[in-house]
Amino acid sequence: MRGKGTAAALRFAIILMVAVATSALVSAYTQRPDPDLSETRLSVHEADQEQIMRGRQLVLEHACSGCHGGSLTPDGPAWLTGLTESLPGNEFLIGPCFTEQGAQPCFRTRPRNLTPDNLTGLGRFTERQIFNALRYGLRPGETPDVEITSTTPGQGNFPASPKYLAPPMPWVAWRLMPDEDLWAIAAYLKRGVKPVRNVVEDSEGPPDFWVETYTDVLAGNPRPVPPFPAAAERMPASGSPDMDQVLRGRQVAVQHDCGACHGGFSNPDAPGFLAGVGISPDAIEYPIGPLTEPPLSGPCSVQADGVACWMMRPRNLTPHETGIGGYTDRQLFNALRYGLRPSTTADVEIKSTVPGQGNFPADPDYLGIGMPWPTWRYMSDDDLWALIAYLRHGLKPVDNEVAASEAPPDLWAGMYTVENIGPYPAPAFPTANEVGGRE
Amino acid sequence: MTAPVTVLLLVVAAPAAIAMPLGADQGPGEPIAAETLTSPAVLENESLGPGTVEVTLVASAARMSLVPGVETDVYAYNGTVPGPTLEVREGDRVIIHFRNDLPEETTVHWHGLHIPWSADGSPFHPVAAGESVDFEYTIPEGSAGTYWYHPHPHHRTALQVAKGLYGAIIVRAADDPLRDIPEKLLILSDNRFFADGSIDMPDRHTPVGNIDFENGREGDVLFVNGQIMPVIGLRAGEVQRWRVVNASAARMYRLSIPGQELLHVGSDGGLFEKPVPTDEILMAASERVELLVRGTGQPGTTTVLRDLPYNRYIPQTRPADWSEPNDLLTVHYPDDAPVEPVAIPSTLRRVEWLDTTLVTTTRVMVLTQGFINNRAMDMARVDETTTLGTTEIWQVENLVGMDHPFHLHGFSFQVLDRNDEPEPYASWQDTVNVPAHSMVRFVVRFTDYPGKWMFHCHILDHESAGMMGILEVR
Repeated sequence: MRGKGTAAALRFAIILMVAVATSALVSAYTQRPDPDLSETRLSVHEADQEQIMRGRQLVLEHACSGCHGGSLTPDGPAWLTGLTESLPGNEFLIGPCFTEQGAQPCFRTRPRNLTPDNLTGLGRFTERQIFNALRYGLRPGETPDVEITSTTPGQGNFPASPKYLAPPMPWVAWRLMPDEDLWAIAAYLKRGVKPVRNVVEDSEGPPDFWVETYTDVLAGNPRPVPPFPAAAERMPASGSPDMDQVLRGRQVAVQHDCGACHGGFSNPDAPGFLAGVGISPDAIEYPIGPLTEPPLSGPCSVQADGVACWMMRPRNLTPHETGIGGYTDRQLFNALRYGLRPSTTADVEIKSTVPGQGNFPADPDYLGIGMPWPTWRYMSDDDLWALIAYLRHGLKPVDNEVAASEAPPDLWAGMYTVENIGPYPAPAFPTANEVGGRE
Repeated sequence: MTAPVTVLLLVVAAPAAIAMPLGADQGPGEPIAAETLTSPAVLENESLGPGTVEVTLVASAARMSLVPGVETDVYAYNGTVPGPTLEVREGDRVIIHFRNDLPEETTVHWHGLHIPWSADGSPFHPVAAGESVDFEYTIPEGSAGTYWYHPHPHHRTALQVAKGLYGAIIVRAADDPLRDIPEKLLILSDNRFFADGSIDMPDRHTPVGNIDFENGREGDVLFVNGQIMPVIGLRAGEVQRWRVVNASAARMYRLSIPGQELLHVGSDGGLFEKPVPTDEILMAASERVELLVRGTGQPGTTTVLRDLPYNRYIPQTRPADWSEPNDLLTVHYPDDAPVEPVAIPSTLRRVEWLDTTLVTTTRVMVLTQGFINNRAMDMARVDETTTLGTTEIWQVENLVGMDHPFHLHGFSFQVLDRNDEPEPYASWQDTVNVPAHSMVRFVVRFTDYPGKWMFHCHILDHESAGMMGILEVR
């Protein structure tokens, strides 16, 4: 049973997911890649290098730059430099004003500078403080550099009066990443990114804004995740992909927050986990628009009169025929990697990102409004196949017919292009915004 | 120090009345109070010996009226808030017989004075309730300036200062170039009260206490020498020297007199080399300034000493009224006959830069919210170590979105640059404000006095929570 705060937070998270997606696309739309690979390469220990590259991969696929600056790939300007005058759209309204113009309270969240600049970024914070921020939500500037061994305030170095990051951070699902992945993100931010001096004013909101809600949200998104198989899950049938792959897919699903829109958040014990609108109390249909031209804005309640508004309806991702049951693994792979709608895209291996070439449809039909999530195509092939194996073999089928999302038919056609969302694969490390690399 | 070589008659434009903001002046015909500002008593010298100042200071609980109509339980030095002023001269031998009649442990820290560690009155020198201790030290030559004293017990400083324990120290030079100019001491403080007069100082772990911790506790009642909006008389043409002490726990003051130029002549450690004309002066918690004010108003009118808005806060806890100015005192231009303008020396004294070629170490001090270099204060830990005779640069970096005033015990320093912008002139400070997301570098020489010296944020709520470290000078 969740309280009022949780419901508000859940709705809020969904709103933000959309905001992140749209703002990432907006910045991608307005920025052009400017690769400069001529930078001097520094010698870095190979093990460190591997960790930094892992961190880069995670930063890419979790769309950190969607809020924190830059295009979706590390080659564009302002990569992770935080809110800048050139990217003003990354300042978010937090509170009822996000959905209702003028409603109070209304706070501005300003994404921080994540580059290792000493005064304005993460340069003077330790990797452990970054780890503690991602795992426990604790602000590096108000939390000492200590190992935390508890989640109870006042115990095991967890501060008695914890100071959390400004919403929407700490992103609850990201704390479910394995330790080594969080350390890898910290390593990349500290040692793989060039420092950029950019002062970002602190976010607004009362000091205790997040405390109660965050605690509430955490209760609904337990860490560790309940043992497999949880209520929404089943043991794979014999002959299915191996258990390791299914469990890896489960990890990918929870840490990428699929359930924030598709139901159940990161808790496979939650009713309707990943089963879509109508079954899961957490999966709501969501009005979005106007989408006709950049900047893509948020919910329709803040639209001007007469502007179209579309309903986004998160799909049923369980292996029932009303869910993903009718599609092949490869169609699902193509949906996640290339954004192509499984119901209208042939079951073929795609070898290009250019329409009309290498089996990429000449007239591509993309997923609905919230998807395709542009940065998930940067997940490794292994992770995408694992995620698909989990959905198909690790989830119980749930009968839930979800009506199609609404959207203008050509919504993504002009947007989901290399020019707008960046290249696949991502530019090689290091770009002009990065440091390191093997000699 | 050298005698002034040239004399500059400062031409301060007489402000037209219309130049003053609305409400700042008071039209003729309305009753104008005579000067009401009072100064704290000067500690009586009990010694007859030359060059010796021997005084008695007692801290005790008291009950008095700080705000009209109600009484407040306070802590007071010698029964007054602020405490009496310690007036000494360079070279004086000072003996202070201190008695702690408080119901709790305390210390007395002689803020800014360069004196032996044993007399520093830091958390290492607690004086138990009911105990007495003698502080003895010699005032160094060249240290003429305005200082202050306040308690510094571990974790209790903010509370004890809020309860009324603070007083000024004036160190005079034999060759003070401004000795003929009448002077006034202005000790600025603020406090917050409940309706019954008791001091509103909530527990740290309450919502309001949490905000007090974040911002540093501010009060809505602003005092000058313990008075609310006192009046200072300033005759036409008259020049006054104001020694201003920021004894507030956290509040910064952006001092200005609407329509009137100020002449900034000194900082924590005394006079500058030359007067600096300015419209406003920013004072962080615990800083002092010396300034000259010339009577340029129309006789029979008034203006105010105003604290202009200054955004030192993080947005989460920024007070809703932060952008409102605060008036601190009324400046009354009496109808008296104008006074002949006095000559203000163009050179006040020599202030040499410390020799930075002697610097052997640059120490980085990273300030976050409640921590220095990511650690909270531990009395059993030495954070930094140096040796006598060393000259160092301290690079103080503020990583968070609010200002932190940084104070070093025992040793005054010279700011070299702020965010790489070189300081225009040398001056002596013991506290420097480090604005949000910025860096200040200063040079300091550890000439003498080994010991475990504190450095800390002088927002007292931060200091008391542990935003402090220990430098051991060996």
